[in-house]
Amino acid sequence: MENSPCLYVELPLTGYREAWKLQQEIVRLKSEGLLKPDVILVLEHPPVYTLGRNGGLENLCVSKALLEKEAIDLVQVERGGDITYHGPGQLVAYPLMDIQRARLSVTDLVSALEEIMLKTAAAFDIEAGRNPLNRGVWIGAAKLGSIGIAIRKGISFHGMALNVNLDLTHFTWINPCGLQKVSMTSLKETAGQTIPMPAVRQAIKQNIETVLNIQLEQLGPEALDLRMRS
Amino acid sequence: MKEISELNFPDDLKYAGNHEWSKLDNDEVTIGICDYAQDQLGDVVFVELPQVGDTFDKGQEFGTVESVKAVSELFIPLSGEVTGVNENLEDTPELVNNEPYTGGWMIKIKPADVSEMDGLMMKDAYLDMLKG
Repeated sequence: MENSPCLYVELPLTGYREAWKLQQEIVRLKSEGLLKPDVILVLEHPPVYTLGRNGGLENLCVSKALLEKEAIDLVQVERGGDITYHGPGQLVAYPLMDIQRARLSVTDLVSALEEIMLKTAAAFDIEAGRNPLNRGVWIGAAKLGSIGIAIRKGISFHGMALNVNLDLTHFTWINPCGLQKVSMTSLKETAGQTIPMPAVRQAIKQNIETVLNIQLEQLGPEALDLRMRS
Repeated sequence: MKEISELNFPDDLKYAGNHEWSKLDNDEVTIGICDYAQDQLGDVVFVELPQVGDTFDKGQEFGTVESVKAVSELFIPLSGEVTGVNENLEDTPELVNNEPYTGGWMIKIKPADVSEMDGLMMKDAYLDMLKG
């Protein structure tokens, strides 16, 4: 069992609540022993703000009415961390892993997710780094990638978000991660040119395999659905 | 992460599959998370606990522990009513890491059915489970 490959599923642009429901269902199946392999979902979301379990609205700098007018959802979820923004052009990965079986501590998983984002940036000649005060990956004082995870019955969910080509305007409506005066950046802003998302997807997949030292079996969303029903 | 042999598991506690420990004293059971769980979580920065008077069925979520950028859910190993919560964890959540079996206890409950303690693991069985 230890050597069974981890299922790797690239989803099309997926609404936050839909992906959240899918994560919860996979966590349930895994914790009940009905789905043995670990699963990593890779996707982009339409614009959405999410708040961590212990985050409050004090770091939302605009009114909820404005969010309603712009038709941007605000969702409070069970992950760690404070408020963040997801949108098209940001690559999100959700590792749904049995961390006890993988002999990974929570801190190991957070560090591994950082390492994956650092290596992915490096694949495009962008040197990002860690910040001793805050987790995530940084270019100087600007944040390139964020992390927020949850653990339920030994299974991890939620994950990491790497800013690739997204419009950064929506981050200015919040204090990202509850940090004041933190600016956000992207691979595009740093490189001065658009970085093609398919290339970033390919790089992140390779780096997930290397950093977590796992074998990935790529499946389409329909095949995942079948595995979840069998 | 430490090796299991480096961790401490007192003989006089009962252990649950989700790594909570329970200790029966008179009519009250004290509950916390064990050395394995605190080591796996890393530095605890926030503990969310229920209120005195709340009641739970065995296996229900009774709180969460937040380590850096990660929230882990806590599941109650036996049914009962909360009779005490460790208020020290509000200001000093690191007690969960430093003293998981003493200063880092989380809640006390009046069990609905004390015999549920029999369904929990003794140290040796719990260690066998951890070693897989």
